[in-house]
Amino acid sequence: MSEFKVHHREGEGVNVIELKGYLDAHTATDLETAFQRLLNDRKYNIVVNCRDLTYISSAGLGVFMAYIEDVRKNRGDIKLTNMSTKVYNVFDLLGFPILYEIYKEEQEAVRKFNEHAGPSR
Amino acid sequence: MTRLRRLLYLSTILIVLPVVFVTDVVRAVVDLDVGGLWALREVMLVGAFLAINALLDDWRKHHRRGIAKEIGRLLILTIVALIFFGTLVFTGAGDLIQGTDAAQNDSVLGMFWGTISGVVLGFVAIWTLQTVREIVLFKRRKETKRNFVVFLVLLLLSCAGASPIVPLEGGFLLSLFLPLTVVAIVVISFRQNWIVYLSRREKVYTLIYAGLLFFAGLFYVVLLFQESAAGKEFDAFSRPLLTLTKLNALLTTIYFGMAFVTTLFHLPTAEVFERKQSEINSLHNLTRLTTQVLDFNTLVETVTQLTQEVCGARSVWLELITPASSGGWKTQVVANRNITLSDLEAVGEVFDPSLREILMETKKVVLVDDTWSDRRTKSVKELGVLRGSLASVPLTSHGEVIGILHASKDLEHGFDQDDVDVLTTFGDHVTIAIENARLIARSIERERLQQELQVAKRMQKQLLPQVLPVLEEAEFAAMSESSAEVGGDYFDIVKLSETTWAIAVGDVSGKGVSAAFYMAEVKGIVLSLSKVYASPKELLARANDALHGSLDKRSFISLVYGILDTEAGTFRLARAGHCPMIYAANSGTVLVRPNGLGLGIADSHVFTESTEEQILKLNEGDVCVMYTDGITEARNPSGEEFGYDRLLRRISEVRERSADEIKIRILDTVRTFVSTGTYMDDMTLVVVKWLRTNAHTDHSSTSPASEVRKKKETKHE
Repeated sequence: MSEFKVHHREGEGVNVIELKGYLDAHTATDLETAFQRLLNDRKYNIVVNCRDLTYISSAGLGVFMAYIEDVRKNRGDIKLTNMSTKVYNVFDLLGFPILYEIYKEEQEAVRKFNEHAGPSR
Repeated sequence: MTRLRRLLYLSTILIVLPVVFVTDVVRAVVDLDVGGLWALREVMLVGAFLAINALLDDWRKHHRRGIAKEIGRLLILTIVALIFFGTLVFTGAGDLIQGTDAAQNDSVLGMFWGTISGVVLGFVAIWTLQTVREIVLFKRRKETKRNFVVFLVLLLLSCAGASPIVPLEGGFLLSLFLPLTVVAIVVISFRQNWIVYLSRREKVYTLIYAGLLFFAGLFYVVLLFQESAAGKEFDAFSRPLLTLTKLNALLTTIYFGMAFVTTLFHLPTAEVFERKQSEINSLHNLTRLTTQVLDFNTLVETVTQLTQEVCGARSVWLELITPASSGGWKTQVVANRNITLSDLEAVGEVFDPSLREILMETKKVVLVDDTWSDRRTKSVKELGVLRGSLASVPLTSHGEVIGILHASKDLEHGFDQDDVDVLTTFGDHVTIAIENARLIARSIERERLQQELQVAKRMQKQLLPQVLPVLEEAEFAAMSESSAEVGGDYFDIVKLSETTWAIAVGDVSGKGVSAAFYMAEVKGIVLSLSKVYASPKELLARANDALHGSLDKRSFISLVYGILDTEAGTFRLARAGHCPMIYAANSGTVLVRPNGLGLGIADSHVFTESTEEQILKLNEGDVCVMYTDGITEARNPSGEEFGYDRLLRRISEVRERSADEIKIRILDTVRTFVSTGTYMDDMTLVVVKWLRTNAHTDHSSTSPASEVRKKKETKHE
C-alpha cells in the first residue's frame, strides 16, 4: 500500500491541502491534524486537492464530516478538487456531491472562494 | 523390624557382658584354663561392642542435632567418663582394687571395676568416633571418606595388634600400626571445613566446646598413659579396648585442638560470612518471587521486608514513580516498614526538590552518610526523623526510573560498599518483579477484554437472522463475517405481512466496537420503523432523523432497504449511500442505484430532497444481490480491488443457480481473488432469487421482460 501524505500550502487567502496515497482509518488522523491546524489559525477557506489520492475509506470520509460544520459556521468552506474517477465514485455513492462542492481543477475552487469572498452555500 | 533389631542388640550386650565377667571371676578362682576360652571371650567382647556401636548409630540417627550441639553432647559424655575414670585412678578405690599384695590382683572387685571401666570408656570411644565421622564427612569429598576409612582400618588393626589371640609376637603389630594411626588422626584433623558453615552463634559455642574437649582429651591421655591400678584392671579386662580408648583420647585431643584453633580463626569473619549467606538466601527468595504470579501488594511487602533483613536497615520503603498526565511525575509509596506513611509524606515533601531529581537524572544509588547534616537531606532534621544514614536505589526499567527503594539506618555511615552492592542487585530484582507483576496484571486485563469481545461477537451474531425464511415464491441466501471480533456490517430479512418481506443490508463507517454498537442501533431502528412505514424512502428518511445528530460526527451509515411483495412480484427499494444493488435478469445484469444520501450525513430536509425510491418488477429467475463494500473492495496481493465488473460478471455467470449456490460461488470467487486468506474488511452478502409470481398475479402479468420503472441503473457491458 502506498503511504499517505498531507501537504499544506497557502495562497490568495485560500488554504490548499494536498492529499496523496491511501486515506483510511489509520491515516485519517493526519488529515484531521491538518484541518485542526487550519481551524486553530482561523483559516476557513479550504481547498482539498485530491489529485494523488488513490483510495478513501469511510473513515476518511468521516474526517470531512467532522470539520465541515465548524468551517461553514465560520463562513468558510471545504471544497474538493482533482478527484480520480474511483475516488469520486466513493464520494458519489454516499451522496457527498450534494453536500460538498467538488471541482475538476483547483483553480476553479480558488476562484469560487475569491468570487464570493464567503461561503458558497 | 527396627524394634526387634534393637532388642537383639540390647540383649546381646546385657547377656554377653555379665557372661564375660562371670567367666573372668570363675577363671580367676578355679584357675581354669580351657583352650580356646580366651578366644571365645574376645569374640564375645567384639560382638558386644559391635552391638553397642549399632545401637548408638541407630539412636543418633533419630536424635540428630546441629554440629555444635553434637560437640556439646560429646563434651558432656567425655567429662562424665573422665570424672568416672579419674575417680578410680586417684581415689582410694585404686588402692582398694590393687591392695598391697600382688596376689590380690585378681580380686573380684578389681575385675568388676575393670569391666565397668571398659564398658564406659569403650562406649565413649565409639561415641567419639561416630561424632568425628559425622563432622569430618560433612560436605565430604571423595578423599575425605577414603582418609577416614584408612584411619578406621588402622585404628582397628592397632586394637587387634594388642589382642592376645593374635598369634604374632605381642606388641609387633601394635608398634607398627600405632604410629600410623596417630598420623591418620593428624591427617583427618585437618578436615575442619564444617566450621565455615556454622552461624556466628554456633561458632562461639563450638569454640568453647572444642577448647574444653581439647583439655579433657589431654587430661584423658595423661590418665590413660600413666601407671595406675585402674589402668591395670582395664588392661586385664581387655587390652584392645584400652588401646582403642587411648587412641580415642588422642583423637579427641588432636582433632578438637585443631577445631578450636580453626574456629578461633573463623570467628572474626563469621559475621561477614553469615551476612553473605543471608544475602544469597534473600536473593534466592526474591528470584523465586519474581517468577511467581503474585499479588502486587504481597510482592512489594516482601521486597521491603527482604531489603530490611539483608542490610539490617531500620526502615525501608518503596515508592513508585509514574508519569503524571499533567507532565512531570508523581510518586506513590507502595510499601513501608518501620516508618509511618505520614512521616514519609512529610519526608517526601522535603526530599522532593533535590534527592529524587538527582536519582532520576543520574539513575545511580544515592548514599547519604549523615542525613541530618547532608546538604541533600538535612531538611529531615526539622522533622526529627531518619537520623543516621540513608541509601536510595533507583529502579530503572528501559532507561526510565520507575521507582525508588529507600533504606535507612540509625547509624551515621551505616551503609558500606557491600550494602550498596546488595541494594543495587536488589533493586534490579525488584524492578524485574514489579515489571513482571505489571505485565501479568496487564495480560489478565487483556484476557478479560478478549473474553468480553468474544461475548460481544456472539451477541452480534445473534443480531443477524439465524434462519432465513423459506418461501414458495423466492429463495434467500445470506452471509456476514467480520474481519475483527465485532464489525459494523448488518443485514436483516423481516416478515412484514403474509405477502411482504423487508430486506436490509447496511454498513457502519469505521470498524470494531463503535461500529458494532451503531450496527445494533440500526437494527433496532429498521426493525421498529419497518412495521410503520410501507415506503422504503420514508423509512430511510425516518431512520436518518433518528441517527442524524446522535451519531458521532465522523460516523455515518449506508443502508439499502427494499420490500419484496410476493403477491405483486415486485421489489421496491431505496438506497441510503449504500453500494448499488445488483439485479440480474434475462435482459442483463445491472447495478440498481437510486439516488440517496448516507444516514447521519445530512438533515431531514436535504436527505428527503436527495433520496429516491425505485420499484423492480420481477420475473421468474431474476436475482437481486445486496452486499457491503467488503466484497467490491476486497484486494488481491498486488493491491487490486475486486471491483464491480468482476462481481457483475460472476453474478451473470451463476444467476441460473439457486440462491445459496449463487452466494457460495460469489464468495469463492472473491476468496480466490484475495488468495491470501485474510479479509481486510467486513463482508456481507444477501442473495434474493425470484422463483415465481403468485397464481393471481400470474394472469395479470403479461409482460415477459422485467420492467424497470426507473431507468437509472447502469448497464453492464
